[in-house]
Amino acid sequence: MFERLDAVKPALKKLIATLRERYAYVSVLATAERFRSWNVSKNGISLSASGLDGGDGYVIRVFDKTGCAEYSINAFSEEMIPAIVNEMETRLEAERAALPEGITPMPAAIPDDSPAALKKEAKYEIDPMDVGDEAILALIGRIREKGLHAEGILDIFCGVNYSAERKIFLSENRDLDESHMWMNAFVGAMSARGEEIKESYKGYSVLGGAELLKEVENDIDEVTRRLNDLLRSEPMIPGEYECVCDPEVTGMIVHEAFGHGVEMDMFVKDRAQARQFMGEYVASPLVTMHDGSAVDECATWAFDDEGTLTGDTVIIDKGVLRRGMCDALSAMRLGVKPTGNGRRESYERKAYTRMTNTYFEGGDATKEEMIASIPYGFLLEEPTSGMEDPKNWGIQCMVNVAREIKDGKLTGRVFSPIVLTGYVPDLLKSVSMMGGKVQLAGGGYCGKGYKEWVKVSDGGAYMKARIRLG
Amino acid sequence: MERIKKLLKEAGVSEYIIFGCIERTAELFFIKKQLDTRRIKDVEKFKVTVFRTDEKDGKQLRAATDVTVLAEMTDVEMLDAFKGAYFAAQFAMNPYYELPDPVTAPLIEAHGRLAEQAPEQSAGEMAAALFRADTGTDAFLNSAEIFVIQRRSHVISSRGTDVSWTEAEVKGEYVVQAKEPEDVEMYRDFAYTELNTNALTAQAKEALSFVRDRARAQKILKSGNYDVILTDENVMMTLWFYGDRASARMLYPGYSTWKIGDDVQGETCGDRVTLTLRALAPYSKEGIPMHDLALIENGVMRATHGPNRFCRYLGAEPTGDYRKYSCDNPGTMTFAEMQKRPCLWAVTFSGFEMDPFSGHFGGEIRLGYLIEDGKLTPVTGGSINGSILDAQKDIVFSTERYAEIGYDGPYAILLKNIAVAGTDAE
Repeated sequence: MFERLDAVKPALKKLIATLRERYAYVSVLATAERFRSWNVSKNGISLSASGLDGGDGYVIRVFDKTGCAEYSINAFSEEMIPAIVNEMETRLEAERAALPEGITPMPAAIPDDSPAALKKEAKYEIDPMDVGDEAILALIGRIREKGLHAEGILDIFCGVNYSAERKIFLSENRDLDESHMWMNAFVGAMSARGEEIKESYKGYSVLGGAELLKEVENDIDEVTRRLNDLLRSEPMIPGEYECVCDPEVTGMIVHEAFGHGVEMDMFVKDRAQARQFMGEYVASPLVTMHDGSAVDECATWAFDDEGTLTGDTVIIDKGVLRRGMCDALSAMRLGVKPTGNGRRESYERKAYTRMTNTYFEGGDATKEEMIASIPYGFLLEEPTSGMEDPKNWGIQCMVNVAREIKDGKLTGRVFSPIVLTGYVPDLLKSVSMMGGKVQLAGGGYCGKGYKEWVKVSDGGAYMKARIRLG
Repeated sequence: MERIKKLLKEAGVSEYIIFGCIERTAELFFIKKQLDTRRIKDVEKFKVTVFRTDEKDGKQLRAATDVTVLAEMTDVEMLDAFKGAYFAAQFAMNPYYELPDPVTAPLIEAHGRLAEQAPEQSAGEMAAALFRADTGTDAFLNSAEIFVIQRRSHVISSRGTDVSWTEAEVKGEYVVQAKEPEDVEMYRDFAYTELNTNALTAQAKEALSFVRDRARAQKILKSGNYDVILTDENVMMTLWFYGDRASARMLYPGYSTWKIGDDVQGETCGDRVTLTLRALAPYSKEGIPMHDLALIENGVMRATHGPNRFCRYLGAEPTGDYRKYSCDNPGTMTFAEMQKRPCLWAVTFSGFEMDPFSGHFGGEIRLGYLIEDGKLTPVTGGSINGSILDAQKDIVFSTERYAEIGYDGPYAILLKNIAVAGTDAE
């Protein structure tokens, strides 16, 4: 895939050699992407190949006397090397010179550039382009038609998108090359209750290709049934309740409530409470949390955007916080090993510590046992959004559906929408049952604060915990 | 552009819109008073939308597919991309619509130091403005990011549009921290189209003041229904519900049932909404000339807005997508008067959300003030969960104003009887 990167690679090596005469460290990340999305709804049929602003380009990283500096470009050839070198020298110096008085460079050691080489091809069964636009649009069109037959439907919206990417990381001693493909799909339904529009959806993801489409066709009835439940939903009565989280809600708690808090660039900034809890119980012994490439999902890469090889990072081990995840620059400042979590939204953006595939290990309980154990509480389904608070470990997660449980049984009453709040360790320490089957969902993107969107997956099993709902 | 036009012709594409954009940036990243990373960027991209027409059962149809191409692509690569997009378009047919009307004009250039001086210099000046506020020891800047962007855009279409313009923007975010008695932080972002150093210094000073209060805020909020005051960007997000619901994207599929002339707030309502959409750029990415647009006047919808296709379907003049609106009501209560009643002023959230479909808004409170007998007690924790469809019945706008790159309108709104999940259950 993306043969253009093969053609340009020798010239990139020349660029690195030229810049190394001026800078103590030089690396280049080259990226190329093929993207396509297909959507149907009342808004019509849409087909886009424009991507998500990831795309094709280069980021050149150097270390000079001021520290880490980068130049992002999306045109490169051997003839451009002198101009690139000149631009970097001139503008990066101008940027340094314009800094206000009192600002000093943050000490940064030269990154580890021990030799590493890797070439890995994308794994997929069916290339979506072999299936073709006509067949994919026909599939989601069929799903939509089927869903529209349900009573009271305002709209059915279905979409499929995929991304094939190739990344090459080059430095004086590293030559890493990987291609990667993921595919996502969703089916959703809308109904109106007066002026209020209720929505329900189901998402799908795979590290792979159009083999995902086999899963998509049969769930629209489940989505429209859930939507019907939402149409008779009631506002939540605020309080703390025994809750059963479905695997997607568990995933959101893993990611939003805890994951962001152990991104170690936040440790460098003194923005994460987790740093003070290393080696301590932060969760129930039922909780073991992982991040990394030990699973095949949308965020599985063999190396990160700073050229660090990835792996399996055990963050919480049976309730004890063992370590965070870390990008290379933060790792140097903290004196720890990077974990392969230095990720960029695209070649146009800075690298930060970012999650990849983040999940809780499974246990041995069943959903039915959890529900049966609750005198009064809720089954939480369909997460919609969340926001991190690493400094204070506050939780803000929104879910669409809370099903009432009374005397160990679902009553049929539904509450919506729901805001989950509270203190993260309180919630995690209250985990009293963990289900057996771990499911990861990679349909979404994760922001750092309010920007820097990267593809991630998260998940876990059904989980019972005490949670404050509002 | 000429190369793209030639290759489009070779690919058999006779109808198209090309949006070309050159972006040059300077970026600074700080951790406390140290420079973490500095970055520069030079990119050029072309988003090419190819159109195809067809006919079925006597009805004309239209499809559009877009693809991004780069100058470094070979002719063969670019030709393949255009052929592929044009081929795919046959499977994505929608009801027919006309492309945007042609418009030609000379380059419109942005002026001022932000547009004209080197972005590296502007980044330094904005950094100085930010750190000028950072003079205390009890509350301080934890970290900051500054992005200066100079952009040149060019739109060409097969109908003859040829317009170009330049823009400049400085935006960023920062976190303020206070360590005593509680170690807390707050996030703020900013964006300006001018080198507005004074505004950034003032905003940072206010943020430092808020974070001092958050450090002594208590988790004493009890669950119940409260009159809630929202301020600044949370007001902007709440009132954009009306902008969203009046958009052609919501009207065409029937997600919004509003019509021009409708009283969209209903007969029983508090302060009336008057929204004007403000043009920040002279043209949209489709080459549609953009002008200020009176959208809602005293609660009555006067126009719709959106991209070419959906406006055409509704028989409305295409307006392009706006990035700024103003709420022009003068307000009926001062912010001080709002605070005379027992209420909760929710200042900042972990992430405030407004769902334009359901009308629900809410979030977890990072800093609030519980106001009783004129006394403000800082509180933290808990969440609000309300519906604008209910709350608009007695919504009150402040007479004080607030402005940022995407908004100019009331600084505060008072919403009555909003459900609050307190921290009493902890």
